[in-house]
Amino acid sequence: MSSLEELSHRHEDEAKLAESETVPRGAPILELRGLQKKYGLVEALKPATVTFLAGEIHAIVGENGAGKSTLIKLLTGVIRRTAGEVFWCGKPVQLATPTEAIKRGINAVHQEVVLCAHLSVAANMFLGDEMDRYGLMRKGAMERAAQAVLDDLGFLLPAGALLGSLTIGQQQLVATAKAAMRGIRFLIFDEPTAYLTRQESAQLFRLIRRLRDQGVTIVYISHRMEEVFELADRVSVLRDGTHVGTRLISETNDNELIALMINRTIEQIYHKEKVPIGKTIVETKGLSGPGFEDVSLTVRSGEIVGLYGLIGAGRSEFALGLYGRQPLSAGEVFWDGKKVDIRNERDAMELGIALAPESRRDQGLCLNLPIGLNINLPIFKRLSSGLVIRKGDEAANADQQIRNLSIKTPSRRVLASAMSGGNQQKIVIGKWLSHGARLFIFDEPTVGVDVGTKAEIYRLFGELLKKGAGIILISSYLPEVYELSDRLHVFRGGRLVASHDHRAASHEDVLTQAIGI
Amino acid sequence: MSVETTTESAPAPKKGTNILLGLTLLGLLLFLWLLLGLSTNAFWSPNNISNLLRQGAMTAILAVGQTFVIITAGIDLSVGAIVGFTSVIVAWLLQAGVPLWAAIILTLLMGVAIGAFHGFGIVRMGLPPFIITLATLTSLRGIGLLITNGSTISINHEGFTNFSRTDFLGVPSLFWMVILVAIPAFVFLHLSRWGRYLFAVGSNAEAARLSGVNVNRTIYLAYILSATCAAFVGLLLASRIGIGNATQAEGWELQAIASSVIGGTSLFGAVGSVHGPLLGAFILATINNGANLLNVNSFWQRIITGLLIIVIVYFDQLRRRGSR
Repeated sequence: MSSLEELSHRHEDEAKLAESETVPRGAPILELRGLQKKYGLVEALKPATVTFLAGEIHAIVGENGAGKSTLIKLLTGVIRRTAGEVFWCGKPVQLATPTEAIKRGINAVHQEVVLCAHLSVAANMFLGDEMDRYGLMRKGAMERAAQAVLDDLGFLLPAGALLGSLTIGQQQLVATAKAAMRGIRFLIFDEPTAYLTRQESAQLFRLIRRLRDQGVTIVYISHRMEEVFELADRVSVLRDGTHVGTRLISETNDNELIALMINRTIEQIYHKEKVPIGKTIVETKGLSGPGFEDVSLTVRSGEIVGLYGLIGAGRSEFALGLYGRQPLSAGEVFWDGKKVDIRNERDAMELGIALAPESRRDQGLCLNLPIGLNINLPIFKRLSSGLVIRKGDEAANADQQIRNLSIKTPSRRVLASAMSGGNQQKIVIGKWLSHGARLFIFDEPTVGVDVGTKAEIYRLFGELLKKGAGIILISSYLPEVYELSDRLHVFRGGRLVASHDHRAASHEDVLTQAIGI
Repeated sequence: MSVETTTESAPAPKKGTNILLGLTLLGLLLFLWLLLGLSTNAFWSPNNISNLLRQGAMTAILAVGQTFVIITAGIDLSVGAIVGFTSVIVAWLLQAGVPLWAAIILTLLMGVAIGAFHGFGIVRMGLPPFIITLATLTSLRGIGLLITNGSTISINHEGFTNFSRTDFLGVPSLFWMVILVAIPAFVFLHLSRWGRYLFAVGSNAEAARLSGVNVNRTIYLAYILSATCAAFVGLLLASRIGIGNATQAEGWELQAIASSVIGGTSLFGAVGSVHGPLLGAFILATINNGANLLNVNSFWQRIITGLLIIVIVYFDQLRRRGSR
């Protein structure tokens, strides 16, 4: 018996519990019947019926926002379902808490590593389940055992090293090894290779196959088609919160899956105002900085320039670089044809650039401050005489933006944290409407907002364009950038890899370029 | 994709709750005064009231400065040490024959310099506010003791030492100093855009930065204001006790933080006012004063102060959660 199997059967009582709930390989281990999740009125997952078989690798694919994360959270007990039934080994179960999911042997390895950076690799692998004798930890024994597992898996990692000293990819491998040690039955991987090198991915795949051969059911979520075809036995496709089909990997191909992933029904939402395109506002030449390299593009007045790519493709980094938040390492920026030097955010604002950043929570809003203060934050200078704020103007501007954007609040004094995702996004946008910028950068403006709010945000784009502004629209949601952009640039690995005029390329081509098959 | 917490029922407007807390604290202060007035004869004597106002005045000014820093989600542990240190500086300058006006200005500039150093440590060196101000706390006392060679410098400037004993319109001059600080502080925090920036930086520095707020300058400003308030208190203390001594004002930083927190300032930043810490400081001063009059063991005063901090902040938390 190898060291991994030995450790995974360390706790006899748990093994017994697990044995009472077994199904033969190939039989349904987890069945979802009409599983549904609603947040308020928003249906994050429409009633889905999916069966997972014992000992299979079941891939789940779908665009960002298709409902993959919601599904994982439901399966791991992080959130509770709104409706539907879940059967585990043929018996109905609640899966109401993470503890219940873990007790049944359901575990997840997340994209973001949730381990303690300041503890050793071995300490992390045994965290919460330490080996002890007379209440004292057996550090040496744990380190030896952990090293045996790592060697067994061929990971070539030192068990005594601090976790924080490893790369993100190596940390991901440790997290996987930790999950594998716990005698799991059902393991979910959420885009595990996002930060892995090719070699690390290969190690991970070996481990996944080995777990499958031991009878563990694997759910593998990924954007990368080639991985799905390399690993999976079956694949389920989600689109806009709907489960649109499950296929045997041997009976499907890239094109069918991509066609299933892309929504063709709600194109009418993506209505772009027809505005005559004017002079060039900004031009970048060979712009490079942290996370992006050699990006050259132009934005003209009246134009939406879309930046499409997977998460981490360098689009947001480019935006932050252009906005002066990140130092540029090479390249030039021309504003109205003149070379400019953007050293910080205030330089960018001075020129007339506005940025609605990717994360409302971390970058966009002061959540525990009133809506009014958030809206006025970029323009307090204009609302003040000297240093003293003209209270009347302050209130008037906030109220005007609240009305203009139909932000649903009784007062500008309500805290931003009390607003829903869609209304929060409107506050972020409202900040920049009164600023009077000429180039608007919207980074994922419609993540976590419902369809109605999306349509309102697109209508605002039209108004900005009519006033002669240019827009850079960053989105991971293809239909959005595809339909709205006058010009669409595709990013991959920090570089601009392809450019298309409005609707000049097919969805399939764009997706293929972004994924890089 | 992140899960949005959707709370459709909006909380009561923030401004309303701010005033509510202020009124509650004012009510508590008046209640304490009434209670002490009924239970002791001496409390309402003009002498005692002047004394109370003098006691509270210095903590109140420190607490206002401290509040600016806490609103940016920082902390200034050095204010007590600055008070002791600047009392030495002004005594030293006066002893050296520097004219009074110049001595006062130089002492206040010393406060500005110390605050700028804190800003430098936080912004440029990336040190946590707790650490950099803790470091100045201990070093300033050391420098002060070096200057005085471990003893005190007495101040022989009559006008300067008499100031703390004078009254104006029947109110002690020291209390007028609170008003002198509080009014510009109020204008700064609640009416000026730099005040808004303090809140924004304390709430979400990254969002503030991306909105074009000069975050570094805002942090410098907060610590300079706090240290300058402390240097001003150093002048007042030197005037009151007539000496410069680096070991004075031991633990005043904690009094200032306590006053600020009792006054509704959130140690997580972005919540605070000017009237809150003022009321907090005078509540603490009243408790000390009342305990003396009632002959309560001074050790008990400390315990009561501790309990009061827990009770007031706990109820404030409840109220905040309730209004969500």
